Amino acid sequence: MRFINIVVCFCLMVALSSCYSVRFQVEQGQWEPADTEREDAYSGYNVYTLDTIVTRKITTGAHYFNISKCPSQALHTVEYRSTFGGVLLNAITFGRKKKVKIKYVCIKENSM
Amino acid sequence: MATTKIDNRTRWNTLHKNGPFPLKKFLTTELEKPTSGLSDFEKYKDVAIEIRKLIQQAANKNECFRAIGSKWSMSNIAHCQDRMHYNVFMNLKFNIFEGEIHQNSAYKHSNLFWFQCGNQIKEISRYLEQRGKSLKTTGASNGQTIAGCISTGVHGSTFDVGSVQDYVVGLNIITGPNSNDNVYIERKSKPALRDDYFQKLDARIIRDDDIFNAALVGLGSMGFIHGIVIETEDLFLLHRYVKKVPKTEALKLADTLDFSNYDPKIPNFDYTGVRPFHYKIFMNPYNKNESKYAVEFIYKMPYYEDYKADFGNPIPFQKQFIYLDLIYLFIKIAEKLPKIIPTLIKALKTSILPMEEKTTVGKLSEIFWDAGFQGKAFACSFGVDHKNSSKTLELLAKLTREHPVPGIFAMRFVKKSKATLAFSKFPFTCMVEIDGIQWSDKDKLISLKNYSTKMIEVLKNNNIPFTIHWGKNANWEFPGLVKHMFGIKVKKWKKSRNSLLSIPMQDVFTNNFLNSTKLSGPLPLEDNLIA
Repeated sequence: MRFINIVVCFCLMVALSSCYSVRFQVEQGQWEPADTEREDAYSGYNVYTLDTIVTRKITTGAHYFNISKCPSQALHTVEYRSTFGGVLLNAITFGRKKKVKIKYVCIKENSM
Repeated sequence: MATTKIDNRTRWNTLHKNGPFPLKKFLTTELEKPTSGLSDFEKYKDVAIEIRKLIQQAANKNECFRAIGSKWSMSNIAHCQDRMHYNVFMNLKFNIFEGEIHQNSAYKHSNLFWFQCGNQIKEISRYLEQRGKSLKTTGASNGQTIAGCISTGVHGSTFDVGSVQDYVVGLNIITGPNSNDNVYIERKSKPALRDDYFQKLDARIIRDDDIFNAALVGLGSMGFIHGIVIETEDLFLLHRYVKKVPKTEALKLADTLDFSNYDPKIPNFDYTGVRPFHYKIFMNPYNKNESKYAVEFIYKMPYYEDYKADFGNPIPFQKQFIYLDLIYLFIKIAEKLPKIIPTLIKALKTSILPMEEKTTVGKLSEIFWDAGFQGKAFACSFGVDHKNSSKTLELLAKLTREHPVPGIFAMRFVKKSKATLAFSKFPFTCMVEIDGIQWSDKDKLISLKNYSTKMIEVLKNNNIPFTIHWGKNANWEFPGLVKHMFGIKVKKWKKSRNSLLSIPMQDVFTNNFLNSTKLSGPLPLEDNLIA
């Protein structure tokens, strides 16, 4: 019973510590605005969300993917979210599959 | 061709969620893409035709049409129930060259820039900084569009500079659907651009001081502001320092704005007798025992490239500051207090505004940087002659203790504006403002409408002449309010509106705010003859 408790605690600890988000933002760029009714830190921002699983292929090489949905072709904010499910997926596929959950805001077109 | 996306909607809200308000159609116009091969001038002309078309469509349906930018106003000034036009993507920028300056102009061409309406303060600052220039002043933050700023009178606390509209030298306004409804207005007494400059843009030129001054703070009702010519200045640095100052000392400075013998005692700097660029007082109305006010001093410094080596990057510091805009300060204080609003107000009685004695040096755009969304907010802001500032603060703070609401006060100071309906109408206007979070009926507090009515009554009963910030919360339906605030200037403003807009177009550019303030409707013929 004690062993089970320890395992549960360990799993909880791993699960909780692997859930976090980090936001990067440029200091002087003008974000792409949007008229929305959201009531969070992104109020007034045009936020794009990317929630996908990236599979590493032999031909892929470095782990990157293209962001094509950005009219100015420049990023203002990127928020990366790590989840327990994502960590687990990465572990059980030996790094072949990565769950990617990001929010991003583009630089406003013609503002640079 | 520029394209306009038309979304059917049922409602719309301000950034600070002061609505919602009913809405039929939400229009968003975007410029031609770079791949079109059009020059920026051609894109500008192209989008002017598009706006004229949209105005025609609204007129055909007897509907109102209103341009909006970043929707930072908390009053319903930006709202109209039929067609609201989101213009933030109309953000072309132009330098003015030597040959384009009017022969009688006193302006240096290198200081003049022309911005399309949807340019936001932050992107304008960046554009200017890349050319060694700076805006003269902004509001406490940087998200507003330039057209939104001037239409509502956005100000900082630069009492020797003025508000955003005070560095505007020319306005390109579309007043209707016809080709001759595309006008460029500047002061006759202070021309800026050559005639052929705006003829290139198919704009009709009006040089008239009265019309220009009326259109400056046009409340979104003088037509569609398409472009704005502003005067900038060379880059400068600002040195910001917030410290606690004894009440009597802070208020004496407010009432006199006399810094000739004053020493703010800022470590490592001697500003004795130096007039600050910016002076602002923060005040918690509920704690009567606090002997000192938090005061923000900002001094102007010459710009030099490696200031960050001496003072550090100001942006990370900004994120640590508590005394940014007033609502931000209140949220920071409220974070540590109970969440239930009546209990929060009770806790404010013993709360002391925090210390923050840190030096920051940065460009204007760095000192007045981003302000994130702070939740559902309210703000009431009254302009009085600075000589009445301490008396006004005392009266409004007393009222607030008698009828508590979740907010705190600040005082900012602004130089007189030439704009006809500028609330900065006194030689030096003190804007006494209360910002805070919205409350509901279940909190059993006075309603915002009743609170703001009482603010008006208190000032009237004490014979303190006042104005109200157009973009802030107030009982705008208070009988005779605007006439009381502006007197004969109301007729002058209406007269200019009459000369710019036909009667059908006045209807198109009228909204509930204008009706509430009795500024809508044409001027009777006899009044139209006033000087």
